Amino acid sequence: MARNDLQGSLDLLVLKTLSQRGKLHGYGIAVHIQQASSALLNVEEGSLYPALHRMEQSGWVASEWALTETGRRAKYYRLTGAGRRRLEVALGEFEELVKGVRAVLRYA
Amino acid sequence: MGVLRRVRNLWRRDRLDAEIEEELRSHVEMAVEDAVRAGTPPQEARRSARLRFGDPLATRERTVEADAVTALGSLARDLRDALRRLRRSPGFTTTAVITLALGIGATTAIFTLVQQVMLRSLPVAQPEQLWRIGRDVSCCYSTRYNQDDWNLFSWEAYRYFRAGTPGFENLAAFQIGVGNAELAVRRAGSPAPAQTGIGEYVSGNFFDTLGISAWRGRLFTDADDQDGAPPAAVMSFHTWQQQYGSDPSVIGATYQFNGHAFTIVGITPPGFFGAKVAASDMPDFWMPLTTEPLIAGGTSRLRNPRLAWLNLIGRIRSGTNPKTLEAQLQVELHQWLGSHVGDMTPHERALWQTQSLHLTPGGAGVSLMREEYEKDLWLLLLAALCVLLVACANIANLLLARGMKDRPQTALLAALGASRARLVLKALVESLTLAVFGAVAGIAVAYAGARLILHLAIIGPEWIPVDAHPSIPVLLFALGLSLLTGVAFGIAPAWMTARADPIEALHGASRSTGGNRYWAPKMLVIVQAAVSVVLLSAAAMLGQSLSNLKHQNFGFDSSGRYLVSIDTKTSNYRQDQLVPLYQEIEERLRSFPDVHSVGSVLEAPMAGWVWPHDIRIEGKPEPGLKEDDSSGWTRVTPGFFETLGDQIVMGRPIAEEDNATTRPVAVINEAFAKKFFGKENPIGQHFGPTPRKNAGMYEIVGVARDVVFAGNAEPMYFLPEAQRTEFDEPESEEREVWSHYLYNTVIWAPGNPPGLEARVRKALADIDPHLLVSGVRPYSEVIDAVFAQQDMMASLMWLFGALGLVLAAVGLYGVTAYGVEQRTSEIGVRMALGADRGSVVAMVLRGAFWQVGIGLALGIPAAIGAGYLIANRLFGVTPWDPLMLLGSTVLLGLAALIAAFIPARRAASADPVRALRSE
Repeated sequence: MARNDLQGSLDLLVLKTLSQRGKLHGYGIAVHIQQASSALLNVEEGSLYPALHRMEQSGWVASEWALTETGRRAKYYRLTGAGRRRLEVALGEFEELVKGVRAVLRYA
Repeated sequence: MGVLRRVRNLWRRDRLDAEIEEELRSHVEMAVEDAVRAGTPPQEARRSARLRFGDPLATRERTVEADAVTALGSLARDLRDALRRLRRSPGFTTTAVITLALGIGATTAIFTLVQQVMLRSLPVAQPEQLWRIGRDVSCCYSTRYNQDDWNLFSWEAYRYFRAGTPGFENLAAFQIGVGNAELAVRRAGSPAPAQTGIGEYVSGNFFDTLGISAWRGRLFTDADDQDGAPPAAVMSFHTWQQQYGSDPSVIGATYQFNGHAFTIVGITPPGFFGAKVAASDMPDFWMPLTTEPLIAGGTSRLRNPRLAWLNLIGRIRSGTNPKTLEAQLQVELHQWLGSHVGDMTPHERALWQTQSLHLTPGGAGVSLMREEYEKDLWLLLLAALCVLLVACANIANLLLARGMKDRPQTALLAALGASRARLVLKALVESLTLAVFGAVAGIAVAYAGARLILHLAIIGPEWIPVDAHPSIPVLLFALGLSLLTGVAFGIAPAWMTARADPIEALHGASRSTGGNRYWAPKMLVIVQAAVSVVLLSAAAMLGQSLSNLKHQNFGFDSSGRYLVSIDTKTSNYRQDQLVPLYQEIEERLRSFPDVHSVGSVLEAPMAGWVWPHDIRIEGKPEPGLKEDDSSGWTRVTPGFFETLGDQIVMGRPIAEEDNATTRPVAVINEAFAKKFFGKENPIGQHFGPTPRKNAGMYEIVGVARDVVFAGNAEPMYFLPEAQRTEFDEPESEEREVWSHYLYNTVIWAPGNPPGLEARVRKALADIDPHLLVSGVRPYSEVIDAVFAQQDMMASLMWLFGALGLVLAAVGLYGVTAYGVEQRTSEIGVRMALGADRGSVVAMVLRGAFWQVGIGLALGIPAAIGAGYLIANRLFGVTPWDPLMLLGSTVLLGLAALIAAFIPARRAASADPVRALRSE
């Protein structure tokens, strides 16, 4: 259960974003999460980058420097095999969490 | 964690840091771009992007931590950062390091010598306990009972002080000069020719007092310093190693010193050189005082209470107050002088009660070298510091220019929340790193430089107690200097970059060049120009002075003349052998077909020392106490005047007929005639050295034109080698005996005769293989050697001046080129509006010359000030010599013209269209 904290949720959002969008830089990830959640979820940069680097250290994402459409250098992240497997696990864990939270709310 | 891993992480973290920074920056910029695209005003977009980002440094730190890399101190990170930046711009780094190495190297080289000559203690036990009697240092002996500041003592006075002063644990005496101590040394029974060596007479307790013990064998004691003790000598380690190949059989062996048997009882420890520090004649051997009469014979000084030739150095008893001790010594001096009132001259009798002495720290020994070089070395250190200043200004300029280029980046750091102090520190770490590199390279330059100065300039091939190796104090000096320079050239650029405006950075503009922002580089160029002018004019003055010295009218022409130095005294000739010996030598040399004439002299003009005598003229009244009645004198063979080309203006020269059977005669020079006879005819007059009873001693037979013997054309008289008079006064008698050992033979052989020097040596060896010949040299070389120190000063000043000039020119070039680059569009506009190339060049040159002009306005008065500072070293040059100042100004102007013209031409060749398009 320890994994099912808020940080776990951020990981999940990032992994999911990357699985949908392929290669993306940090800013793009933040923007995507914001747009996809209809601005309900606002990823704080202060958490995003530490999370990205931690996931990179864990081998879930890989990174490389490339140019953006506007010609700016940026660090692009993409999912690795390990990341995909982690996404499956994290999705499962999230479903569990949601179920658990719902159940508690229902009977409270 | 292992050190290795830590270091690796350091590198790793450094790289990661930079990456993260860039990642975060690109994030902010993309956010701003999007907002602007969505219609938000850029200013607002930026502000909100930054607000949204929260604390950027914290983010970065957290991100870094996420990378699980060990955190290290930020200073270490700044250092890595600095190294990376320096590595990234090798051109800049190389230029800066070379510039610094030259500046720090020059300064450290001079400091090495300053340290060795002025700040070093003797390599003996507890040098701080050693005190010497005397404040000044004088060489080499005194024959008077008045010295004002007593620093030379007779043997009798020494024993008086030693016996009566319990405040000294030990009081030693040593000879400061080399009189009677120039040795011809030969191992007993060895057929090899004698080697020359320098001896020093010291009291038996000398080594004890200094607290050193033997390296091999033993050092002598008071028991060896007694009449009747078998003659013993101690050899210096340096001599043992260099001349005797560290041969262990030397110890205990018997050697002939000028024909007298001495046993070498031991070797002093390495590094020990005695208590005297001099640039020449450092002792190879130490001998007990009581052996002096054995070697000196008729010229012995030991038992003459009037002859003061010893320096006294003592180890103070712990708990003794030096002030009290000094007062006691003062009393002793008066007691001792009081016991000699009987043999004082009237002049001395009037003054002996006012005599005084001073007790001064003796841990550094008694340094003749310091006396000789102190002022010059401080001056050189000052000049080297000026070069360093110019070098620092250059690097400051480089850093400033680079700082300007890096402004956007710095501004971004500021925008991301880095504090100003942080940015200054970061910049300072970089400049200090640069300075330390410069210092390391500078130490190499310093080592080479100090050796070069020692080798080429200060002294000849002789060994001297100066070590050019960088010592701990020198290394500390270089390090301190590098830190100081690092701050000096780093602080302004650091401060200026730290003022970087975040907004400007985000504008992305690097072109906004407000005219007065560049005052700092211009100021630096002005300072460089001013300092260069000072260095150049000092160099010009010293150079001119040297040339004046060398080309002054010596009263004779050195060209075509050669000087032979023969040491007949050390070769142990008897008095009665001398006249025939010189006759044989001269005849032999005269028989060479290319030799015009030959003549010998006690010590040749500009090649040695002149003895003075106070003169009494027969039939003239006794001069007053204050009146100067002295004249130099020397002894010559008949061929001397002709050989030197010294014209006889009245009467006749010294001739063959002036010998032991005829009346004693003298030839005087014009200065002597003028001083003592005015307009009277001196021929036939009589004079002699004091006292009055000698006034009829010599008859004047001729007057010779003035020749410079030692610095000035002073009154001189010349006595024939073949005549000898007796004196009742011991010191006059001693000199009379001594003066017959003529040291120099002059040969006049015009037209560069081939192989003359070798032929002369061979001829002398044929006459007597044991005759010590210390040199056969062209006379002009001898004169050049006299001015070696001035030569060194002038050469080094030129070197420093040239270095300063080149650095200043490079500085001006850099600033002008940078200015032109910044003004490209302005120049483009001007040219588009019709300015021609000439006027653009003129405009750029005008800007550069304004700076040089202000530099000159500051530099010329400073140069005149420097001239007054070195006035006492100048010969025939005034401190404000307009020609020198003009010369340096022109030199600087030319260098500035070249430095400014290159960028000016580049500016003029700019394409106006392109320049405008970049607007």
